[in-house]
Parts: sequence; C-alpha cells; structure tokens
Amino acid sequence: MASGNNQSASARAVVEGFKNGLSRQAVLSLGACVHCGMCNDSCHYYLATGDPLMTPAAKTDRVRKLFKYHVDWLGRVAPAWVGGSTLRTDEDLRALEDVVYGSCTMCRRCTLSCPFGVDTALIMRTARGLLTAQGFAPEGVKVVSKDQWEIGNQMGVSQEDYLETLDWLQDELRGEVGDPDAMIPIDKEGAHVLFLVNPREIKYAPMSLLAAAKIFYAAGEDWTMPSVGWDNTNFGLFSGDNKLGAHMGKLAYDQAKKLGIGKVVISECGHGFRATKWEAPNWAKEDLPFPMESFLETMVEYVNTGRLTLDPTANPRPVTYHDPCNLARSAGITEEPRFLLKRSCLDFREMTPNRQENYCCTGGGGAMSMSEYAQRRLKVASVKADQIRATGAESVATACHNCVDGLADLIKHYELKVPVRNICEYVADALVLPAPAIAREALIPAGLRGRKVLVIDDDPDTVVYLTTLLQDQGLETVAAHNAAEGMAAARTARPDLITLDISMPGRSGADVFARLRSDAELARIPVVIVTGAIDFRELMYKRNVPPPDGFLQKPIDPELLLMTLRKVLEVRHRECVVSETGAAV
Amino acid sequence: MPIEVSHFTEVLMDQVQLVALAVMAAVYLLKIRWILHYKAASERTPSRGDHGQAIRYSYATLAMPWELPSTRRHWFRYLEFGLLHVAVAVAILVTFVMPYWPRLIAGRDTIGVLQVVFAVGLLAVASRLVRRVGTAAMRAVSSPDDHFSLLMLAAWFAAAILAAPQTSEPALIAFFGLTAFFLVYVPFSKISHYIYWPFIRYYTGKHFGHRGVYPAKSVPRHA
Repeated sequence: MASGNNQSASARAVVEGFKNGLSRQAVLSLGACVHCGMCNDSCHYYLATGDPLMTPAAKTDRVRKLFKYHVDWLGRVAPAWVGGSTLRTDEDLRALEDVVYGSCTMCRRCTLSCPFGVDTALIMRTARGLLTAQGFAPEGVKVVSKDQWEIGNQMGVSQEDYLETLDWLQDELRGEVGDPDAMIPIDKEGAHVLFLVNPREIKYAPMSLLAAAKIFYAAGEDWTMPSVGWDNTNFGLFSGDNKLGAHMGKLAYDQAKKLGIGKVVISECGHGFRATKWEAPNWAKEDLPFPMESFLETMVEYVNTGRLTLDPTANPRPVTYHDPCNLARSAGITEEPRFLLKRSCLDFREMTPNRQENYCCTGGGGAMSMSEYAQRRLKVASVKADQIRATGAESVATACHNCVDGLADLIKHYELKVPVRNICEYVADALVLPAPAIAREALIPAGLRGRKVLVIDDDPDTVVYLTTLLQDQGLETVAAHNAAEGMAAARTARPDLITLDISMPGRSGADVFARLRSDAELARIPVVIVTGAIDFRELMYKRNVPPPDGFLQKPIDPELLLMTLRKVLEVRHRECVVSETGAAV
Repeated sequence: MPIEVSHFTEVLMDQVQLVALAVMAAVYLLKIRWILHYKAASERTPSRGDHGQAIRYSYATLAMPWELPSTRRHWFRYLEFGLLHVAVAVAILVTFVMPYWPRLIAGRDTIGVLQVVFAVGLLAVASRLVRRVGTAAMRAVSSPDDHFSLLMLAAWFAAAILAAPQTSEPALIAFFGLTAFFLVYVPFSKISHYIYWPFIRYYTGKHFGHRGVYPAKSVPRHA
C-alpha cells in the first residue's frame, strides 16, 4: 500500500537502495544506452514473441526509468523528457518483478551485441537484489534461497541424504568398474581435488555424478567430496543477494581451506561455476589460496596427459553442443567441451550460432525455479528449438544442469525427441577401462529384487511398460489408473515406492502427491514423478510439501528409471538401517 | 566568397560559441567526475585472459563491425552510424573553421563536398527517425529526448547545408545558433553517450578479458 506521501515503504526502500547502491559499471550501463535498437534481435524473448516490450532496451528501461528519475541530471529536472519515472506502489514493484525475473534470463547475449556493452544482466541483477530484499521475488527463488541459507544447498538435501547418496553411488561405481576398492572419498584431507556438485546431481540426477566418479577413478585422481559446502550453485547470483552469494561461496571455500586440498573442481553447472569461481570471491571479499576450475578443464587435462583414453565409437549418434551462457559468455569456456565431445563422439555437429553467440536454453537466471513463468519460458524457447532442430543431431550435450533441465523441457514441448546429457556422461561412456574384475551383481547384492512399486498413471500403455520393466527386474508391482485408485492402492499395498504421473484426468498427480505427503501414514513412501508434463518443476521448487524423491520425463529412459529407483530405494533403505540401529554411516 | 556578416552574427559565430564550448567542457568534466565518484566493482580472482588485449579489443570493436553479432547482421545500420558520425565530425570542424578561416572552405568544390557530407548526415538522421517512429520496438523505448535529439540534429544538418557556401547570413545564424544550443544541451541529453563510451568499453573489455571471453573466439560468420 502507498503511504501518506504516495509511496509504499517497500517502494521507498527499493528507490533508496537503488540510488545509494549503484556501482560505476551499473551507472555506465544505465546511462550509456541510446536506444539504438541494435540489441533487439539478440534476445530470444523478443525474437520468439515480437513483443516490443521484450527487447533488452525496453526491459532494462524499466529499471533505467529509476535512474533517469533519481540520478540522471536532466531527468531530475524533467523526468518525463528523458523517460524517467519512479516506483510508488507495491503494484509497481510486482510489475518490475515480472520484468526482471520473468522476462530475462540474464544470459548477456545482448551485452555482446551492444556497441556500448550495456550489461543488461547487471541491471537486472541490481533490480532483483533490491526487490528480493523487500520480499518481491518468485516463490521458487525464495524457497531455494532459504534452503541455501538454512541447509546449505538449494534442494534442501539433508546431510544424511547426501552422505547416503554418496555411499550408494560408491557402490554403483564399484559395480560399474568392477573394483571393490573404487571410492568416493569424503573429507579426505590433503586431496588434490575437491569436487563440488549441483544438488540436482545428489537429488535427481545421480548419473552425472556417477560419470564424474568413474572419470576420476579412470584418471587415478586423488580426489574427495566435502561433507559440507558441497553445493556449487548459488542463488545469490540470480536473486541479486550478495550476502547469500558470499555465504554459499564461503561454505565451500572454508571446507577447501580446512581440508588443505590442491584445487577445487566444479562440476558441470554454468551458474555454479561462474558463481563459485568468479563472483563469490568478490562477494565474500576473499583472496583464495587454491585454484578453481571447471570439471571440463580437468577432463581436458586428463586427456592431454594420457590419464584418460577415450573411444568415440561408444557414442556413434550425431551429437550437438549447447553452450551454457554462464560458461561461454561469462567464463570463457567454449573450447574445452568441444575438445571432449570430438574425442568422445563420432559425429559432433556445431549449433549455429555458437560459443559466446549461442542462444540461452531459456532456463538461465534461475528460471527453472520460477514455475509461474514456465509457459512464457517455453514460448520463447522456440528459438533454441529451431537451433537444435537445424543440427539434425540425435542428442544434445551441454555442460550445465540448469541447461539440461531447460533443454529437456523445450525438447519435450517442441517434440524434438532427442535426449540431453552432460558432457561427462558422454566422456564416461567413451572411457576405455579394463574389463571389470568382479561382476556387478557380486558387488551390489541388494538391487531392486523383491521391492514393491505402485505405478499410478492414467495411460494404460505406460502402466504396462513400467510394470513389465520393473517385473523383469524382480520387482513386485501394483498398478493404479487414476488418483482415487492410486490413493487407495497406496493405503492397502503399502509399496516401497510410488511412481506417479502428473497429468491425469480428474484429480491431478500433483494433488495426489500433496495428499500423499500430507498423510501421516503415507508421507514416508518415496515418490518418483514420471511425467510428460513440465509443471512438475513446481513440486521441486515451491515445496509446499517435501519435494519428490525423483523425477523422470517421458518417454521413459529405462536405464535412467532403474537407476533412479535403485537410488531412491537404496538410500531410503540405508537411512532406515541407520535410524533403526543408530549406527553411523 | 564568404559574405560580410553583422556584428550580431560575428559574436554568435565566435564569442557565443566559445562560451557554449566552455560550458560544454565544464559540464563534461563534472560528468566525468560524477561517473568516477561511483565505486567500480573489481575482481579478486586471478585473470583467465589478458586485460590489456581485451580492453584494446573492446575499443576496436567500434571499427570491426564483423565482431559484434548486431553490426554483422545489420551492416546497413553500421554504415549509417559511420556516415552520421563522420558528418557530425565534419560539421563540428566547420564550426571552428568558418569564424576564423572562412576562405579555407570557400572553394566551390569544397562547398560541394561539405554539402554532400551534410546531406548524407541528414539522410542518416532521417533514416533513424523513420525507424524510431515506424517500428513498434523502437517506439517502445523512445523518449521525447530521443526524438528531439534527432530532430535537432536534422535541423542542424539542414542549416549546415545552407550555411556551407557562407553566402546567407540567416543560414549562418541558424547553423551557429543551433551549434551553440547543442553545445549547451548535449552534455545533459542522450547525445552525451560518447562520454560514457570510453568508460563502458574499458570496463566491458576488462571484465570480459578477465573471464577469458574477450577477445571473442572464432564464431561462424554466417551466424
């Protein structure tokens, strides 16, 4: 509400913060724009919609109006003459929130197109920071930021869950390489490499972490993962909250210093790499005693020094590469992924344009956590979809977990029917390793056999496919074809795990999920979302109830499904054993 | 031959210009001081690239339209930009020459060349004006200052065309009157963008050089 002087307290705080907190670079970016329009068609939002309010200049002008009104010399005398205006009400703040969060992924493509170099991302981040401080931010951003503050990682993964997942992954690694001594070390003092990951790798996408572990194993690396400060992601970059940015950086830096490691290696996460290596030392005001590098650089070094041997015939299908904005435009990493893909895949095809001129996956800037903008995101993703389609590639590689999710959504939406994976997964597939000394079954005795899974899906074909696949693995299955049947079956069958479709007629899977999580008797049953819809991300990020234990997109990749189920069931089993015996892991 | 002008016009072409120029210089100095009073963000990390090379590259993009995706794609607009700024530079030069060395640019051919240059400048301004008014995306970002600056520039070039032969006192009054107005108005308007340019290109080069992004790596030119 606007107060007596016609300006709400929040609006006043934003304006004051803006006037007093500008850096020289921000002043230059706000002052230099001449509205020449050269940036217009650099932005995927404008290209896809043709909406004149979606050009970078129009979007930054929403912030620039403040600059003109309060800071610019002529604007302070005659604001309307130079397009200046101020923020007065909370409605104004919400409108600005919609622009700076909902219509810019801070990809910086326009910056490299601008004859001046106006840094749109800097302007957007400045505004985001001021709005966030007043509570004006998408719900998902708030939830994730809160978890980073309170739990230390963006997906709210508990310490127990994290350690159990690594323990399970270690077993998987041993099964993969046939070596009972293969390790995923934790908190190993003096290790050469400290590996930081994206929580998505722990919570939902363990295959990339398994691939990384396999690569470290093959290279004979002296590596470790930290027990705390392991999250390389940083929502401070997205929300403009430098204090959160510093906090997340320091969690990792402190652990690296404590363990006395040789270098920090950051897994394939675009913003995570940018934040941890480039931004957080500035926010935390720390001069770090150890180097930091992307896992891409580490893998290149392994190949160049002969520590890895790759066989590209392992990946015979045509592959293209999507340059993550934060790596290509904000971190200068463009050649390393190409080096690796050309040695891991038989048929590598460039996307056009590429490198620092590539288009955003549409999931940047924290967009994946903002489910309120999902439809807008998918609409503007047509630019990226056209780019991928033009390559004729049958799979897409990228070096960013955000991009994997953003691309997976648009691939689904535009029916491109190509899988998307991280680079390390292609490299791991192409590794030339000695034949396993011990069979996988001997190393991983538990497996899935004997567990009971409830499959809830309205599509009869999917139910048949899933139940057959699971039964072939020795699992017991129960099927339900709608929400009511599913809830009833959950009560009567008491499954070890539920696979749940989201889009079902009548009561949706999201509703079933909320009811399961809110039911004291059923809340502990792990749920894996298996869906063709994209609105499941709301469950991951808004977290009105604890998030799902896994998610898979249709069409179902059987290998990924089984790995996800193994992970969820095994980690839960280990947690139960620990809680029952009180044993330390 | 240049005509004899009245005392009023003489003062307008000389003293008024000098005063306006002094005002402009003073405002620019204050503006630079104002820019520098904002604290620059700095990097604490070791650089991945060469700052000096990246900063030089950043400045050089002005003359390398093939390096920016925008100028590569909109080559006509880059040409328009080049011609407009050349015309502006020539017109500014003329404002210094006419009051003190009028015969230097009084030759028939010279007058012809100057008029062509100013006409090209006028066309470039007209093209920009049409684009600003005629396309929704440009209208959406245009302020009165944007339109006014272009209109004033058009009027200035028109006056310059008429004033170039130095045979019409009203034309000289219009040209130098507008010049004096520009000298005072420009430092406050969007036309002062060139004060920002050296600073922003410096920081753009330094930032992207630090990250190893600048100089840009090879990109397919058909993009």
